[in-house]
Amino acid sequence: MLRALKSFFTSIKVAIVFLIILIAASILGTLIPQGRSSQEYLARYGQLAGLFEKLQFTRLYQSFWYIVILALFSLNIIICTLVRLTPKLHRVFRPKCDLDAKSVQVLKVKERVKMALAPDAAVPAVKSVLGRHHYRVHEHSGEKKHCLLARKRILGLFGSDIVHVGLLIILAGGIISGLTGVRGSLTLSENQTLPVPQAGFSVRLDKFITDLYPDGSVKDWKSELTIIEADKPVLQKSVEVNHPLSYKGFVFYQSGYGSDWENPELQVWLRKKSDPGYLKTIRLEMGRPATVEGENITLTAARFLPDFVLDDKNQPSSRSPELNNPAAFIRGESGGAEVFSGWIFAKFPDFAQMHQAQESEFKLELKDIKAPQYSVLQTAKDPGVPLIWAGCAVLMLGLFLAFYWPTREIRLVLEESQGKTEINAGGISAKSREAFQAEFDGLMDALRKTK
Amino acid sequence: MSESTIFTLTFILYILAAFFYLAYLYSKREGLAKLGSVIALFGLLLHTLALILRTVQSGHAPFTNMYESLSFLAWATVFAYLIIEWKSRVRKPGAYLLLIVIALMALASSPLMPKDATPLVPALQSYWLWLHVSVTLLGEAFFAVAFITSLMYLRAESLEKKGLAPKSGLTAERLDSISYRAVSVGFPLFTLGGLVFGMVWAYKAWGTYWSWDPKEVWSLITWFVFALYLHTRIVMGWKGRRSAAIAIIGFLAALFTYFGVNYLLAGLHSYA
Repeated sequence: MLRALKSFFTSIKVAIVFLIILIAASILGTLIPQGRSSQEYLARYGQLAGLFEKLQFTRLYQSFWYIVILALFSLNIIICTLVRLTPKLHRVFRPKCDLDAKSVQVLKVKERVKMALAPDAAVPAVKSVLGRHHYRVHEHSGEKKHCLLARKRILGLFGSDIVHVGLLIILAGGIISGLTGVRGSLTLSENQTLPVPQAGFSVRLDKFITDLYPDGSVKDWKSELTIIEADKPVLQKSVEVNHPLSYKGFVFYQSGYGSDWENPELQVWLRKKSDPGYLKTIRLEMGRPATVEGENITLTAARFLPDFVLDDKNQPSSRSPELNNPAAFIRGESGGAEVFSGWIFAKFPDFAQMHQAQESEFKLELKDIKAPQYSVLQTAKDPGVPLIWAGCAVLMLGLFLAFYWPTREIRLVLEESQGKTEINAGGISAKSREAFQAEFDGLMDALRKTK
Repeated sequence: MSESTIFTLTFILYILAAFFYLAYLYSKREGLAKLGSVIALFGLLLHTLALILRTVQSGHAPFTNMYESLSFLAWATVFAYLIIEWKSRVRKPGAYLLLIVIALMALASSPLMPKDATPLVPALQSYWLWLHVSVTLLGEAFFAVAFITSLMYLRAESLEKKGLAPKSGLTAERLDSISYRAVSVGFPLFTLGGLVFGMVWAYKAWGTYWSWDPKEVWSLITWFVFALYLHTRIVMGWKGRRSAAIAIIGFLAALFTYFGVNYLLAGLHSYA
């Protein structure tokens, strides 16, 4: 049973089946929109919707079964890597040098060279030639025979293992992110301070700025923030798209913005029907009565809608947060009694519909609207992130070693022959065989010429 | 000269190069292929100039809309091909690769692609735009080379089986090893540009390094397919037909990541 399990997890075929399953499952997850509402799935897939939700196809990448496949796949990577690591470590740390020339003659890259030196002098000479080409040489001497094992770029042997370690570190980072990461969002009006959830400090929005290009399209959104800890400002920085602010493990991202239409400041013109030259400009804040200078009247803005529309129930409401059809409900009072009330429209100044208790000679126009800006910040604390970057670095290092740092090994058996030395040399290179062959040929030439 | 004139000239040079490469396929005269290479190289230099001009004029990296990114992918494909050609000294894939390049250039110059350099939306204002897009597309360009040599492998192999092998010396085995070579350049580049740089930028811009957005998932799928290619080849010793088939599927996955996701699946990567 245990052996069956072991052979299951050490099998490269199993790894390949996992890869194929992961590919298929991942494709499925891109075909079904993820994380939508049940109603949307019902509208899209009809009767299948229930089945999809039960099989967690609608939250596929977070689903139990996808995570189980990932876990089994990781286990497979770990075990495969370990199993293949042992013989490699043996090869590196217990180099074997066979004194029998036949062990060299079976290699693909090979040559026989005669050197005009006695073996005792030849061995250091060969070593120095190999050393000049950055080979490290192990020597094993027998009676009359010497074996030299020359290797370089030995780290390349472990490229794929390092890639796997990198992947596992990334997966570990992902697990930590998933388990301990905190995400939230803060909606701040200018000059508003809010505590950051679970952080022990607060953040204040000092100013929100929208930069525009000359053609009017948006260039940048900026929130000038102050971090407040124990009632003291500790850090001031502006956050832009692509330039988050980082403080004590929490990162703040510019993610949205808008105007606070609940609390606009309105500018209203007051005219008199009887006196065409009469004009008063009045600033109104929501719900705060303002007296009109020289008149026995106060004005109050009771409601404001940026995009006025009458809804299904014939009630005023706003179609959008854009200033498409701004309208304000204004009440005029005199001596505590309502004189008039009604909606005025910035775009339709003549359309004002005033309920009037008595014939009033006042006429109102909505001239200007200013609303405080608010900024939406994403906050994230993700302790998995450092592991992710470390894993990426290890992964890239491994890929580089695996593809571009091929281990090269040359075995040489030196034998005495009539006072001179006969060398049987053979080489192994996992990759770039042509380049290796060229180097090998060059080395053999150098040996021939050595005196 | 304006950028669009240079672009048109580049296009003409690529067509000319493809013509000579094709003529080489039929006449087997090496000189024609060499002429093709030289013209393609001139095209590449001119194309580089066009990209630089575009960058200077727009003030941002030349891959922020479909026109720019198609043009850059065409550039990268010529670049990748010439590198592989120079290393392998095999010029036969040139004809087919330049046909891909011509298709990309034609698509870029089609009236459907808005060509105006528009100011950069805030999300794209980052030097990670350079790193992420250029390295990814360069990796995909090497996958395109592997795609063509794998297709050529399949044809050459079936001819060899029937005993109809061409005498020109380009064996199926050689094509197989050129495919592997192209993948071994493309895979690290795609990993670095598409996945690593992509994650870093996503973290900077959105606050999460991975959000299972369809484009992200499809790059991962592409990566898995090439991982499959490497493992079956290196560990299991698959070569030839099956290897070629996986490389072809891998390129198609990369192509879908690049094109299909934008048009068929909705997600965060709705820029270009």
